[in-house]
Amino acid sequence: MTLRRRSRTALAALAIALLPLTACTQVDGGDDPAPSPPPSDSGDSGATELVTGQGVTEEACPDAINPDNGCIYLGVLSDLTEGPFAALAVPITDAQGDFWRLVNERGGLNGYDIDIDKNTRDTKYIADEHAAQYNQISGNIAAIAQTLGTVNTESVLDDMIAKSLVAVPTTWWSGFAFDANDGGIVMESGYSYCTEAIVGLDWFADNHGKPASVQAVGYPGDYGGDSAEGVKRWAEVNGAELKEYVPTAPNQVAGNQDAVVSKVAAANPDVVVLGIGPAETAEIIGKLAAGGFTGRFMGALPTWNPALLDSPAAGAITGLYNHMSPYQNWDGDSKGIADMKEALAGELPTNGGYIIGWAIGYPMKAALEKALENNDISPEGIASVVDGLVASYEGMAPDQKYGGDPQANAIQSVYVGQPNAEVELGMETIAQAYVGTTFDQTDYSAACVASN
Amino acid sequence: MNLNKTQTRSDRLTGRSTHLNFESSKGKVARNVSRGRGKLYTSYATNQAFLNTAPKKWWTLGFVVLTALAPFLVPLDFTYLLTLALIYAIGGIGLNLLSGYAGQISLGHAFFLGLGAYTAAVFGGKPGTVTWGFELDLAIVLPLAAIIPGIIGYLVAPLATRVRGLYLAVLTLGLLIFGEHMFKIMVPVTGGEGMGRGVAQRTLFGVDLNATYAIGPVIIKPEISFYLITFLIFAVLGVAARNIARSRVGRSFAAVRDRDLAAEVMGVNLMRTKTFAFAISSAYAGVAGALLSMLIGRISPEQWNLFMSVDFLAVVVIGGIATISGTILGAAFVVLLPRFLELLTEYIPFISVSSGGLINVFQLQTIVFGILIVIFITLEPRGLYGIWIRIRNYFTAWPFSY
Repeated sequence: MTLRRRSRTALAALAIALLPLTACTQVDGGDDPAPSPPPSDSGDSGATELVTGQGVTEEACPDAINPDNGCIYLGVLSDLTEGPFAALAVPITDAQGDFWRLVNERGGLNGYDIDIDKNTRDTKYIADEHAAQYNQISGNIAAIAQTLGTVNTESVLDDMIAKSLVAVPTTWWSGFAFDANDGGIVMESGYSYCTEAIVGLDWFADNHGKPASVQAVGYPGDYGGDSAEGVKRWAEVNGAELKEYVPTAPNQVAGNQDAVVSKVAAANPDVVVLGIGPAETAEIIGKLAAGGFTGRFMGALPTWNPALLDSPAAGAITGLYNHMSPYQNWDGDSKGIADMKEALAGELPTNGGYIIGWAIGYPMKAALEKALENNDISPEGIASVVDGLVASYEGMAPDQKYGGDPQANAIQSVYVGQPNAEVELGMETIAQAYVGTTFDQTDYSAACVASN
Repeated sequence: MNLNKTQTRSDRLTGRSTHLNFESSKGKVARNVSRGRGKLYTSYATNQAFLNTAPKKWWTLGFVVLTALAPFLVPLDFTYLLTLALIYAIGGIGLNLLSGYAGQISLGHAFFLGLGAYTAAVFGGKPGTVTWGFELDLAIVLPLAAIIPGIIGYLVAPLATRVRGLYLAVLTLGLLIFGEHMFKIMVPVTGGEGMGRGVAQRTLFGVDLNATYAIGPVIIKPEISFYLITFLIFAVLGVAARNIARSRVGRSFAAVRDRDLAAEVMGVNLMRTKTFAFAISSAYAGVAGALLSMLIGRISPEQWNLFMSVDFLAVVVIGGIATISGTILGAAFVVLLPRFLELLTEYIPFISVSSGGLINVFQLQTIVFGILIVIFITLEPRGLYGIWIRIRNYFTAWPFSY
């Protein structure tokens, strides 16, 4: 009896608790719109008055260089402590800080200083951490100056699109060239890994003779997978034999690269395109060279670290490896490189990550300048200028055009480097902004490796 | 017969003491008698009741009300963290049933979280270019996310029941590594390494949870509705776990944990007990994994790794082994402490976000978090729940020391 009464009471309580739900009405059709910009500044569109939104204040930035300027806050989501890319991501983030400091020192942008420190967060390269940190800063920023990792970025991409938060990714996955994947708000910088492999192999064919066989080694997915797809496309167009793709994993996971070494030795290709980390690059090249392998290696952007020249494989790397980069190396002669060196005031960064961090500042700067020119630096205003925007890298790379036909606008120029211990940061440029012929013969109408 | 005896005994009460005869009231004690005697139990049932003291009832009510109202009181990004804490609590409760109550150490918890996440993603997600997705309602997806990992847990349990202690830890570690590899190669399910896949859609009973709703003047944003649903699931699973723990099954868990041979001699079926512990723990992990994946928005095969298992072990150990409420405290600690450290480190002047100095602010946070855990485990091995017990005992005995 009591039991029955109790369950009856429980049922009644539940019914009462659920009662408010009947009064539930949907407020809007989809995602919550971004917090509306403060009305104070919003004028008619096209009017001279500046429209501002979240992440833009009339008050100066903390520790402002120009105390009379307003402040535009940008976010950074990067791997700054214990994640697998911290060695690269820390100098990248340092460079971004220096980049915007220099911009501020030169007077800022149209009466605004830029602050990235306040909304820089460590994601540890873990998707849930990335999402948590993104949620923390997404309401306080005008745009995202850096978002590291494809999966991490995609985890919050829908929300970024809903909030119109323009972002520069530190990932060179081909998918970010296509609006179908990123809603047109992710401003990829330079080429994609897929393009890199295609153009890099063109360079190889020009300088080392056309290879009869090619092979890709890489981490599966957005990085090595994208690169491997480029190798495949190059082989198809140029009639080279495509040896089986060798997927691998970082040494923290795989232990060592012996399996890769034996597979590449067995396949014996003329050239191997690497889409892996620096330590793995050194191990594979060193072991293969010791085993009498005579082919050469083309390494993607993240395969290089100057410390490799101190490794036992230094001799083999210097002899057999070339590095590919979408930006000029440390020995570049552009205004961008000169500005970067000025900001560093004679110091050497730990590795080339610093150059990457510096270069990816330019697309964001171009977007902010254009938005200020249009008198709208709300997130929506910044997002609206991306399509058709042309970003100048001050000579560090060819100008980049966003939106439009991805195939026609794709950056195809590769800076090929040769390891050289005599040169600062150990990488000597041997081909400036090389552009091949194969890419235009491939179909670049969707991401090379699909987002699922 | 026993009943008759007690009946006779209480019938002997005479004079003013007749009001102490509670037998006919099935253990219910008059209010004037129980006042000031919080631990006066007059029947086994009330002693073992779900909330057996008045303070527990009030604390629970306060916790429920506060937790339900929390998302309306804090900023949205805190809502994310609170949701994460609830999800960690669900997964932690599952692990505590297995490792805390039944004493079966497991490093494979992340594998079952992954299984739940992928079950939810496959049944509730959109199909991709290479991935499967059936776009079912969460009302079907969430139970499946418990059932499928539960079944897998049930299937692997016989292996695990043959070993114990360190050997079991290594065996479950093997399971984790095997699982991670399977996740990496099962591309139609997981999207493959490096790319990952999208997650289950937030549609429950046909209601789109991505929309903003209003109940009168109260605006319920998508983040809040997901939080509330997570809270509801957490509450149901928390109560269920508490009930399991104080039932015959829970007592057999404890018997097996304390000495499995002795338990077997007493007639506890070892195989059945351990298997059930594994299955139920996996089911909890599955639900937590499904919710976690939906909270994050995208999942990749490499995230269900040893570090995640260790995170959940930390929740259990920091919260307190073999307590449900301790697990909730542990989850809140593990998820929220880094955020509080972040707020604190803003006030340390010489450390910034750049790596110019000795360390950057994020490295400092990681170091402090590690040190805090070490201090914690050293000073209070019974975890947060142990601290709570000490506080409670202090006030119970007040003004005396003991």
